[in-house]
Amino acid sequence: MNNDSLQFLDDETMVALEELLEVSGLMREELFELVEFGVLQPAESSGQRLFAARCIVQARRAARLRDDFGLNAPGMALALAYLERIEALEHRLRELECQLLRS
Amino acid sequence: MKYKDYYEILGVARDASQEDIKKAYRKLARKFHPDVSKEPNAEERFKEVQEAYETLKGPEKRAAYDQLGRHRSGEEFRPPPGWERQFGEANLDDILDLSELFEHFGGGPFRRRGGRTGRSGAAFAMPGQDYEITAHLSLEDVYRGAEVALDVSAPELTPDGAVRRVPQTIRVRVPKGATDGQRLRVPGKGGPGIGGGPNGDLYLNIVLRPHPTFKVSGHDLYLELPVAPWEAVLGGEAEVPTLDGRLKVTVRAGSRAGQKLRLAGKGLPTPKGGHGDLYCVLQIVTPTALSEREKELYEELGRISNFNPRGHFG
Repeated sequence: MNNDSLQFLDDETMVALEELLEVSGLMREELFELVEFGVLQPAESSGQRLFAARCIVQARRAARLRDDFGLNAPGMALALAYLERIEALEHRLRELECQLLRS
Repeated sequence: MKYKDYYEILGVARDASQEDIKKAYRKLARKFHPDVSKEPNAEERFKEVQEAYETLKGPEKRAAYDQLGRHRSGEEFRPPPGWERQFGEANLDDILDLSELFEHFGGGPFRRRGGRTGRSGAAFAMPGQDYEITAHLSLEDVYRGAEVALDVSAPELTPDGAVRRVPQTIRVRVPKGATDGQRLRVPGKGGPGIGGGPNGDLYLNIVLRPHPTFKVSGHDLYLELPVAPWEAVLGGEAEVPTLDGRLKVTVRAGSRAGQKLRLAGKGLPTPKGGHGDLYCVLQIVTPTALSEREKELYEELGRISNFNPRGHFG
């Protein structure tokens, strides 16, 4: 089974803007609004052409929120920001739980 | 095919207004949408709710659905005679799922969910559906990079143009470097493209099952290391398990509960080829079943020691 094309959706792998648009289902204008809100960040000095692969997860999530909740770009941006904060908190929680001793 | 009571799924009466149906959908979407819900089976429940809403939200499809008659949920049924003529569905034998009956309404196949706005090309070419699957793996699966089998239900185009769902098993090799919460994309492993369109993609979300010995945080592992009081006070050596065999660690004299011993590189593999670390968290455990002699010794310790653990209380 050829696994070479498997992509880690993390901060290390990069994707081009066009691919990000294609796999997320976001309109170009929507994506740029999300960039303006700071919830999607292009790689530095790439002229907004390269993004971390992790943005695929967020962009797809944004399109889903748009389709299922009827959100516009500002709404998507707010929702994404909250969801990211929640994920960061859950990550920290897991980290701390790892250090709890059984009482 | 099996009947699904869409009104029941949305929790509305059969004569509910379009407004009521929309409100019911919104409440349930808030409750079960996978991006915001912590309910068990949220993804499944949401798909159900969405299917119900897609059918009932517009008067045409809703009328067609109502004409199917009322049946018990899960009951096998057929549309009444004349239904096909009235609502123009060709070959009912190939349709396995109630949702497919309405897919052809309003022109064109199923609503594309998530991604892949179709590229222009052949008139009937459509990109395949994306699959989003959560794979529950063990720590060992992820450490070794095991192959996993995932079950999906894939839509397939039959020779006479109808759409049916076929259960399928996809095999994916979990790459080394994956960990809890990791998301992966396997291009082309999603649903088959229609009429020559490209295949959809497979999105994999990795969730690690709890492990009896290790806890996972990113690519680091945590292990609780119990030591006896004298080991903590005097120091000593302890043998600990790791994912690739046992190791000896040194407990320093004067160790305290909660202190961490770091074993570099003994955690999970990272995508770039390195490894995370293994942290042993000291836990001081006290024996409860004491012999007479042990009890005497502890009491003597208590008498001769100047140690005051609560000195700072004032």
